[in-house]
Amino acid sequence: MNRDSRATAVFNRAGLILSRSGWTLGVWLLLLALLIWYANLIPRFGEFQITSISKNSLPLVYLALGQAIIVIAGGIDLSLGALLLLSNAIAARFMADQPFGAVVVIALLLISLVAFLNGMTGYVIRISGVPDIVVTLATSYIWSGLALWILPSPGGGTAPRFRWLFTGSESGIGGTYVLPVLMMIIPATAVFLLSRRTRLGLSMYAVGSDSNIASLAGLGVTRAKVASYALGGALAALAGLATVAITGTGDPRFSVGANATLNSVAAVVLGGIALTGGTGLVLGVVAAGMILIMLNPILSAMGINPNNAQILQGVLIAIVMMIGGLVALIRERRT
Amino acid sequence: MRVKSKLFLLLGLLMVVALAAAGCALPMAADEHTHEDGADHTHDEEMPDGGFVIGVSNTLVGNGWREQMICAIKAEATASGMVDEVIVVNRNGGPTEQIADLEGLISQGVDAIILNPTDREGLNAVIEAAIAQGIVVVAVDQAVTAEGAYVATNDQTAYARLGAEWLFETLGGSGKVVEMRGIDGVPADTDRHNGFMEALANYPDIEVVASTFTGWDPSTGAQQALDLITTQEIDGIWTSGIDYPVVEQFQVADKPFVPIVGADNNGFVAQLLDLADEGLVGAAVTNPPAIGAVGTSIAIDALLGNNPPHETILTPKVFATDNTDGLNAIYAPDEQVGWSTYVDIEPFTHYNGSADVSACKAPGE
Repeated sequence: MNRDSRATAVFNRAGLILSRSGWTLGVWLLLLALLIWYANLIPRFGEFQITSISKNSLPLVYLALGQAIIVIAGGIDLSLGALLLLSNAIAARFMADQPFGAVVVIALLLISLVAFLNGMTGYVIRISGVPDIVVTLATSYIWSGLALWILPSPGGGTAPRFRWLFTGSESGIGGTYVLPVLMMIIPATAVFLLSRRTRLGLSMYAVGSDSNIASLAGLGVTRAKVASYALGGALAALAGLATVAITGTGDPRFSVGANATLNSVAAVVLGGIALTGGTGLVLGVVAAGMILIMLNPILSAMGINPNNAQILQGVLIAIVMMIGGLVALIRERRT
Repeated sequence: MRVKSKLFLLLGLLMVVALAAAGCALPMAADEHTHEDGADHTHDEEMPDGGFVIGVSNTLVGNGWREQMICAIKAEATASGMVDEVIVVNRNGGPTEQIADLEGLISQGVDAIILNPTDREGLNAVIEAAIAQGIVVVAVDQAVTAEGAYVATNDQTAYARLGAEWLFETLGGSGKVVEMRGIDGVPADTDRHNGFMEALANYPDIEVVASTFTGWDPSTGAQQALDLITTQEIDGIWTSGIDYPVVEQFQVADKPFVPIVGADNNGFVAQLLDLADEGLVGAAVTNPPAIGAVGTSIAIDALLGNNPPHETILTPKVFATDNTDGLNAIYAPDEQVGWSTYVDIEPFTHYNGSADVSACKAPGE
């Protein structure tokens, strides 16, 4: 009798975990399937390809993690791509010809600075009551303008050792995949633990779910909001740093930032985080970011006309988002 | 407790993915080894005689000049008879995207890569990695500094200098001229401005009364031209390729034509032929997107072991209104006004004129 009930409890809990993180699981399985498919599409699949995919995914994965935290806390940040641009421009301008030690100091200062700037944006949104989308659209123009002012045309550089840190190679190509994979797992795990295992993280979920109830329950709504934006900013800065590590230069063009913002939102939705806030696991976003990066080489290896590839990419994202909506609807009906 | 087990579940999943990837990698890596051995073997004995796969990387989509460049690559690949497949990776982006695209092409095992680079230095590492794997890399339109890469460009300084010299000669060495530039800060615009100034230095009686940035946008250029010709006395106009809209403004304003320099745009070439009777004097200076075909030809040459020169710089040709035969030869009546008419570049191209390029067919398409 006792053993039976314990077995049932274990079974129930397993079911609960599966249903709660089903979407995350699904996205990771989709990534796995795509990896295997890609490996069979191309003549060679080895360390070069794994390194290539993991390092090229870093900027989008960071940006998507940042967007995920902000969305979970009930916001949305259209300025993340511009913050990537800004930190890329600052990093490339000031890291050029500097020794590794100085470059690391610059990187840490930059992460703090951008976290502070975006934290302020979160504070302004909370205090003014102006919708997130409006405030961050405005700040996105400020940051990308600032990026162009700091680095008027592509250029600058960074220390080879710093490039190795993100790409596994001092030249930015053909290195070991251990470093880019670690650089993905460490921040992702940190953000995941922060969001699920700390009081601050859980208060972000509560605020994103319903800020009035969270406020009545005595949670610090402003604190959660500002923290989510600051964390998003820090991750955008990290994305900018990864970009300078991958390319070895800075590129202040506006379109780069705008693309990055849109991709981060796509990765968040594909990763199973509802844009209404309060739900979802950030780990799904990591896989979603990698999937979006992998679509391009896969479509190209399939011999799909590049002009149609873009359409197909959009259609795929739309279909996945609709499946997400359908899953949510079915769940709602059941409960 | 629940959170912890969920975490383990997901970390476990991550491990599975990593292991699976490694699992795929190992046997394939072994394949790669034998494959490379095989390739080296044929390399020693005899040079390959065709069946090449060419990858193309472009990062500016929806631009007429770039689209024609890609079509020229496809047309030349088809005409050469040496190419089995052309893989085009075409999307908007910067160095980050282009590095990923180039790595994708390397992974697909192409024999040669033709790219229009977004950055002079930022792509060198990936280009050198491709070359190290035996891939022939040709940068077209803009140069890269990577060791071992082939470069094929149009001489932008000469483009402006030759056109400006024609204009200043036509004006008899004195008069008021307008310089209609492209986009401030873009390397091609800077080079062209330098060429224009080089020519100007030799003509002390030529006065530049206005200098504008058209952004290479026809409607912007047209508006600027209309403002200028209705408010100022102008003897000649040099344009950085926004040419036929400027000529149209003379007709709109009902003003007599002044000598004008443009590019080999089909609309401008048509005007030079049709409006000569009404007093239009002008010169079309070539800036061919067929540089893509030149790059293709160089790539095939290199793959065949013919050791072509690493740097190819095309000097623009000037087709003026007094050269009716030349203008007629490059005029492409079936194409759009923005079509670059100078497509046959000796000795590089083997396709048959604008019709072949416009068909835009790669081998097997």
